[in-house]
Amino acid sequence: MNPSLASALAVFLGGMMLAASVVVLFVRDLLSAIIITGMISLSASVLFLLMDATDVAITEASIGAVLATLIFLWGKGKMGGRE
Amino acid sequence: MNNTLAFVSVGLMAGGIFLAFLRLLVGKTGPDRAVALDTITLISTNLLVFIALFEERSMLMDVAIVYSVLSFLGVLALARYLDGGLR
Repeated sequence: MNPSLASALAVFLGGMMLAASVVVLFVRDLLSAIIITGMISLSASVLFLLMDATDVAITEASIGAVLATLIFLWGKGKMGGRE
Repeated sequence: MNNTLAFVSVGLMAGGIFLAFLRLLVGKTGPDRAVALDTITLISTNLLVFIALFEERSMLMDVAIVYSVLSFLGVLALARYLDGGLR
């Protein structure tokens, strides 16, 4: 891929990660925080792919984006109604 | 392949990701954000397939397959949680 195009994509994904991680501090309910955290992990995984680290990207997508979200949701379900 | 094609396609996909990202940030309810996350994952998978086609790297195709399976699993868990299960 064109290096300037790859750089623009990396800057776009990094800015999105930055904005999401600022927003997750100020969001009110836990479910939105869990979903936005999963999105941050997904963007990190695509960034790993742009840096030619394929196995790291697969591991990040499976553990960071899916397994962590699932465990957070399970824990939130265990907590019941209180936050 | 044509260089202009890469710029236009990646630009359009980045625009789609950005619009879904705005819905993820300002979404009012939980299902809004879940659907936005699913959309972002889908467009990212399309981006990976396009890069694999453009750079002729077949390794990225396997990563795209793993992405789609994992995104299905994650959205399934979210939907199960929103339905009241997962306890």
